[in-house]
Amino acid sequence: MRKHKLIQLIVLVIALVPGILMAQAVEKNSLSLNLKYYNDNNVTHHLLVQAKSKIDGKFQQIPNIPVQFYITSDADKANLLGKGVTNEKGEALIEIPPAAKAEWLKSPNQNFVVVSTATKKFDEGRGELAVTKAKIKVDTAEGRIINAKLVALVDTTWTPIAGVDVIVGVKRLGGILNANETQTYPTDSSGSVTAEFKRDSLPGDQKGNIVLVASVVDNETYGNLTSQLVVPWGTKSVYMTNFDHRTLFARRGHSPIWLEILAYAIVVAVWSVIIFLLVQIKNIKKLGVE
Amino acid sequence: MEKLAENKIIEDLLPQKFGKQGQIWVACLLAVCALGFYAYCRQLYYGLEVTALRDYASWGIYISNFVFFVAISLVGSLITAVLRLTDVHWSTPLTRIAEIIAVSAIAFAGLIIIVDMGRPDRFYNLFLHGRLQSPIIWDVIVITTYLFISLLLLYFPLLPDLKIMMGFKERNGKFLQKLYEFLGSFWKNKPEQFKITDKAINILSITIIPVAFAIHTVTSWLFATTYRPGWDSTNFGAYFISGAFLVGAGGVLIAMYVFRSHYKLEKYITDDHFDKMGKVVVLLALIYLYFNINEFLVPAFKMKKAEEEHLMGLFTGEFSPIFWFAISTSMLIPIVILIFKKGRKPKLAFIAGILVVVGSWFKRFLIVTPTLLHPFLPMHDVPKSYTTYFPTWEEWAIAGGSLAGALLVITFFARIFPIIPIHETIIETEHHEKA
Repeated sequence: MRKHKLIQLIVLVIALVPGILMAQAVEKNSLSLNLKYYNDNNVTHHLLVQAKSKIDGKFQQIPNIPVQFYITSDADKANLLGKGVTNEKGEALIEIPPAAKAEWLKSPNQNFVVVSTATKKFDEGRGELAVTKAKIKVDTAEGRIINAKLVALVDTTWTPIAGVDVIVGVKRLGGILNANETQTYPTDSSGSVTAEFKRDSLPGDQKGNIVLVASVVDNETYGNLTSQLVVPWGTKSVYMTNFDHRTLFARRGHSPIWLEILAYAIVVAVWSVIIFLLVQIKNIKKLGVE
Repeated sequence: MEKLAENKIIEDLLPQKFGKQGQIWVACLLAVCALGFYAYCRQLYYGLEVTALRDYASWGIYISNFVFFVAISLVGSLITAVLRLTDVHWSTPLTRIAEIIAVSAIAFAGLIIIVDMGRPDRFYNLFLHGRLQSPIIWDVIVITTYLFISLLLLYFPLLPDLKIMMGFKERNGKFLQKLYEFLGSFWKNKPEQFKITDKAINILSITIIPVAFAIHTVTSWLFATTYRPGWDSTNFGAYFISGAFLVGAGGVLIAMYVFRSHYKLEKYITDDHFDKMGKVVVLLALIYLYFNINEFLVPAFKMKKAEEEHLMGLFTGEFSPIFWFAISTSMLIPIVILIFKKGRKPKLAFIAGILVVVGSWFKRFLIVTPTLLHPFLPMHDVPKSYTTYFPTWEEWAIAGGSLAGALLVITFFARIFPIIPIHETIIETEHHEKA
């Protein structure tokens, strides 16, 4: 009996060993969290994190990673700005809420932290970002000239910043179309750049409005800054629709005239013959009665 | 045809009561119709869910059946109109057979369309809110028109025969006598009446040809105006018409044999009729074969990606057994049988006719369904069940019921009216005697 139980125990251990070994074989990948700051038209601010991991020798975007955004430091839970989960592009985004205003106003420089807890496949991750508060303002001058001015907060004063590359152009299909052949303009000692608008025939909205944009992209000190201004410099777009036109693919009651004439003419012609023949039956009847 | 006395012709051609075989035949057809009706009641109650029709194969054997009915109805115009206008007299005994096939087929084509609708109670919307640009509306108009013209073409030559039949009051019985009187009591065999009738038949013979071509061309456009592999063809109108003539002629071969042997009409539907009709079928099969080669060879030569999946499914894939069965039975084997004089004897011609009709039914299924299973833009995460189609028992029962219904109409017509025109046969016999 004891021998029998011993055999059962050995079989059980043999059956479980591969599972245990398999479980030990799973290794977690390290996770990289890249944090970015955005100042949108000097009105709203948001943070974006990109989750990446090196798998099979290649960096891949990692979706479904829960992340937490903090202002200044993650040591104090009161600094929590919000939580998010990375999408299929491995990105999560959060707007900096008004509740964080007191912390934001404490210093001209600001730190942000993003953390992720460990998951089954990935280790915990952490990303930090330090930015100097800055803003950009776009304006126009006579003769279709675009001006943009970049200032940063030094102690308590907004100070012009020189030597920063600024993109000046027109908002178009989610990107920025350059105002002329020049890609970027470095700011001068007054923090300003000037660009001549040469896109004369650019389609605007129904009133000819287009959106001018001045933008600082991925700057190590200031992050991403954008300013927009609506100007009537485009050509007016007239909304054209053939919805009510008479076409073969139009809705009911809007078929082409030639089709209506042709179709109804055929129907009338053939049914006239049928009616004529029905009259002939009547005539045959008459002849039979006479 | 031998010289036959007028009375003998009348006696031979008057409609006969059902014998035991006829009663069994009618009972079987009624049983199939009843099963189909029960299945349709289930479909009405539970909805199209009881069918295998899904988002991909939204047209299954109902629409295959519709195309088949429309096709076989074309025979009315071939035998009655084309042969009459070309002064071919040997077809006289076959005209009424062809016309009643046309009438019953086109009536059931209209019915089967309603069966295919998920909400038949909304059918009237097609007339109230129809879109003139849509081939579906053209189909509705042209089917209705063709039905009326076919009925008239059946009715006008029947008038002198009604007069003859009314003379057999006792034989007819009360109901049939009243029916004959209602339909033709005014016919007095006056020359003026014959003049009007002949003129009307000539007008109908001319009118029915473009209408018949239109009905089948429009049916083909239901498919060809849709951008799908297998349907995206400029050849479809002619392809459909040639196929329709073939299946209709095959149907006439079957009907000729059945009526001849059942009603002992060997003196009227002779071996010569089978011989000539057999030649017509060979010609039509060769024409349809030519269009089939066009329809499949040209896209197969180019083998565009979307077409490839469809064509390979037909040639060597899941539909290949049905495809090669349909091609063989509807065209190749009948050609081989009927091209020889011995093959045009009644029995072999009858077998060839059956092959043509059965093969043509499957051919219609192959035109309709495989294309639907290979859309240009497949659904994302499409359920596996959507990518195949096999009809449920309800679909088989309804389709079978409609076929049985069409046969029932022909059967009852042959019971009530002479299936071979009596008056025309007498006139032609007199002409023969004079000649």
